[in-house]
Amino acid sequence: MADVTLSRVRKSYGALDIIHGADLGIRDGEFVVLVGPSGCGKSTLLRMIAGLETITGGDIRIGGRVVNDLDPKDRDIAMVFQNYALYPHMTVATNMGFSLEHRGTSKAEIAGRVKWAADILGLSQLLDRYPRQLSGGQRQRVAMGRAIVRNPQVFLFDEPLSNLDAKLRVVMRGEIKSLHQRLKTTTIYVTHDQVEAMTMADKIVVLNAGRVEQIGAPLDLYDRPANQFVAGFIGSPSMNFLSGTITEKGFAAPGIVLPLPQTASELNDRKVVYGIRPEHFTLDDTGVPAEILLVEPMGSETQVTMKLGETQVTGVFRERVSLLSGATIRVRPELSNIHLFAADGGQRLN
Amino acid sequence: MAVAQDNAIPEGRSSSPFWTVARRDSLGGFLFIAPQLIGITIFVLIPLGLVFWYSLHEWNVLANTFTYTGTQNYQMLIEDPNLPQVLGSTAIFSAGLVVLNLSLALLLAVLLNQRLAGITVFRTLFFSPVVVSLVAWTIVWGFLLQKNGGINGMLQLFGIEGPNWLRGETTAMISVIVVQVFKNVGLNMILFLAALQGVPNELYEAARIDGAPRFKQFRRITLPLISPTILLTSIITIAGSLQVFAQIAVLTQGGPGLSTTVLVYYLYQQAFQFHFFGYGSTLSILLFLIVAVLTFAQWQLRKRIVFYES
Amino acid sequence: MKAEISPRMKVILYGLMCVLLIPFVFPTWWMVTSSVKPISDIFAFPPQLLPQSYDWTTYSKVFELQPFVKQYWNSAYIAAIVTIGTMIVSSMAGYAFARIKFPFANTIFMIVLLGLLIPSEVTIVPLFQMFLKAGMVNTHWPLVLVPIFGAPSVFATFVMRQFFVTLPVELEEAARVDGLGRFKIFRKIALPLARPALASVAIFTFLHSWNLYLEPIVFLSSADKFTLPQALTQYTDAYGGPMWNIQLAAATLTALPVLIVFIIAQKQFVEGLAHTGLKG
Repeated sequence: MADVTLSRVRKSYGALDIIHGADLGIRDGEFVVLVGPSGCGKSTLLRMIAGLETITGGDIRIGGRVVNDLDPKDRDIAMVFQNYALYPHMTVATNMGFSLEHRGTSKAEIAGRVKWAADILGLSQLLDRYPRQLSGGQRQRVAMGRAIVRNPQVFLFDEPLSNLDAKLRVVMRGEIKSLHQRLKTTTIYVTHDQVEAMTMADKIVVLNAGRVEQIGAPLDLYDRPANQFVAGFIGSPSMNFLSGTITEKGFAAPGIVLPLPQTASELNDRKVVYGIRPEHFTLDDTGVPAEILLVEPMGSETQVTMKLGETQVTGVFRERVSLLSGATIRVRPELSNIHLFAADGGQRLN
Repeated sequence: MAVAQDNAIPEGRSSSPFWTVARRDSLGGFLFIAPQLIGITIFVLIPLGLVFWYSLHEWNVLANTFTYTGTQNYQMLIEDPNLPQVLGSTAIFSAGLVVLNLSLALLLAVLLNQRLAGITVFRTLFFSPVVVSLVAWTIVWGFLLQKNGGINGMLQLFGIEGPNWLRGETTAMISVIVVQVFKNVGLNMILFLAALQGVPNELYEAARIDGAPRFKQFRRITLPLISPTILLTSIITIAGSLQVFAQIAVLTQGGPGLSTTVLVYYLYQQAFQFHFFGYGSTLSILLFLIVAVLTFAQWQLRKRIVFYES
Repeated sequence: MKAEISPRMKVILYGLMCVLLIPFVFPTWWMVTSSVKPISDIFAFPPQLLPQSYDWTTYSKVFELQPFVKQYWNSAYIAAIVTIGTMIVSSMAGYAFARIKFPFANTIFMIVLLGLLIPSEVTIVPLFQMFLKAGMVNTHWPLVLVPIFGAPSVFATFVMRQFFVTLPVELEEAARVDGLGRFKIFRKIALPLARPALASVAIFTFLHSWNLYLEPIVFLSSADKFTLPQALTQYTDAYGGPMWNIQLAAATLTALPVLIVFIIAQKQFVEGLAHTGLKG
């Protein structure tokens, strides 16, 4: 079984804590994405699982074994690096077969495994080339090939698509996902791109400044973010936040009163942060007024930057908005998609 | 070079100037390199030609004779009874020096490539002999290598009777090699250190995950990726080893006998001590040919053993 | 290879390095301490790591027996002129090879590089003849002209060229658009940016000139024209044997200023060398 468990895992450099006690359970065959802004510790966590960084506290288990003190090569893991880390002086075939050379595998078997991996990734024609002769996407595939050749228990990906252009990223995302569906190996994937996280993950772990903010399926994080950070991180364009107080008439933000869902009634007089995603506004003549600042037509939708009272928010509408800045439209936030967070601490309230 | 004509240009104007921007730039280029080029011609190329010319003469400066003798000097060269031993000493000296220098430099570079406190102090100390005056360094070593000098003194503390280093044939050669190596190895050490630091750390991490043991990482990853530097330093070190003069002049004067008379020193003796400028020039040509052949050979080998990024 | 190191490994590494350090550092130490020992103590057994009695007259004898101050000055001013001259010649030539397109540039560069391979001993005989005919023997002219324009500066040119190749072309293109001519571009843009390369060129040229031995003993015959390396070997007694303690004192005086400068500027020394582009 290739499940991975992190129990109260901590990492410090001297007096500085980088990771503050992370708990995480990953089931065999799951595709888990560690996501968060730069410096949140996701790469550090991944490298601790790999064995490239030492663990200051807590345990990491792979397949039930505690691996804290094991060398990377003894953990039965494989890693795909952000910069591919291909050996520039070896051919594609030698690169992919390198890890098998130290395990007493026969030359014939190495060649066979390399061929199998190359076939899956479409690299069969490139086996004799050198990394410098390959494009970015091809190099990425060689890096993946090197990982799958060993058939490890866990794949680790460290921001593998960051160096590719946007179009290629979309293609490779799909390839990585289909590779996972085919091989069904437990995968831990690190990225700062929440779109990658949303589209690829079975389970997402959102990290911020060394702490785990929330763990859950992509849509769970989208529908019910546990705190303001996760709410603002997941979803693009990001959620709008308005600060204000809950009153009997509704949510009082500077210059405007917005409707509240039923569940908010117990929170009377509290200072809260009101969250609403851009795509959850509808154009409604009975709604609240919003002054248009900027209209950006995207073809299938229109993104409108507008002002609710004194707060600037973004709205995304399926309908074409042909009005100009300065005009006023009326919008209604969908009641079922309003998120309330504590003004101090950002915890979810509803 | 045709230039598109504007109708406004009156008749009689030439259609394109001779001194285009590109041509003026080229002229500027020549002016920039003129000092170096003229200098090389005067101080390197012409002397090289002159050396060849002199080698065809018998030229005793004291007797002031300068007679054309054709290939007689080269005959003398082939028949010179000293030459085999001189060439042998030269070969031993160069080979010993290069092997010791490069392996020590690599060892030191690997040692210094760790993240340890105070590592820069060590680096500076290992490099310090490079900046100490060459003759000063040699004099101190000459002094330490005396029969009753510092080295034998230290050995005596362990109960070992040290030889008279500069007076025995083998020990003199060893001494000269060692003195030269410790003087200059700091240079190669720094070059190797820079090369080692140019290897991306990620490659080692990938190798660790791939399961390669440390020695294999060094052999399959580090060495190939620093091979351009190894080649370049070996070319420079070999060429340099054939020019070592001051140490031998100060330490052993080529002795005992001929055991440390390398080609360069032999040349000096013939030309400036015995005043046989013609023969000395012949030896110069020989020296030049050896350096040229060795460098050419190494340069050709580079395709086979050196990995290049681009 | 950048894995974290266990304390036990650290001890082994430090120990190994200290042992290896001995032949590198001991001679310098011995030179300085022995220069003030009385001559009898120098060869004493057991060897004295620190002087047990002091003889300070060695230093004054250094100056008495030879025009040492003049010789010091000779080495210093020759090295200074050679350094400045080489910096000018090599930076111009290096820049041209790196940036300017002119016919036969590559061939000429190859020819210039030949200078790196030709040992100075090969050309010393004809050079001596040339300077003899020009009446410049026993002057400092050969020691200044040959290094600046000849083989030793070729290395400097190579280094400068490597450096200029790595400068972004956009900077110069912007200057061209602003209307600067080639020489102005060189003087105002390329050269100021070349400080690190110029620094390492200066250091190595100075050291090379300071340490020249063959050329001075070939060209110079009067003691007051000698340079330091040459002078060091002249401290011999009536029988031609070296006067050790005086020689060591003179050697200390020769080595110490450079060592002090080196310790102060060691970062620039070492990093300048590392970035000469010799990485291939």
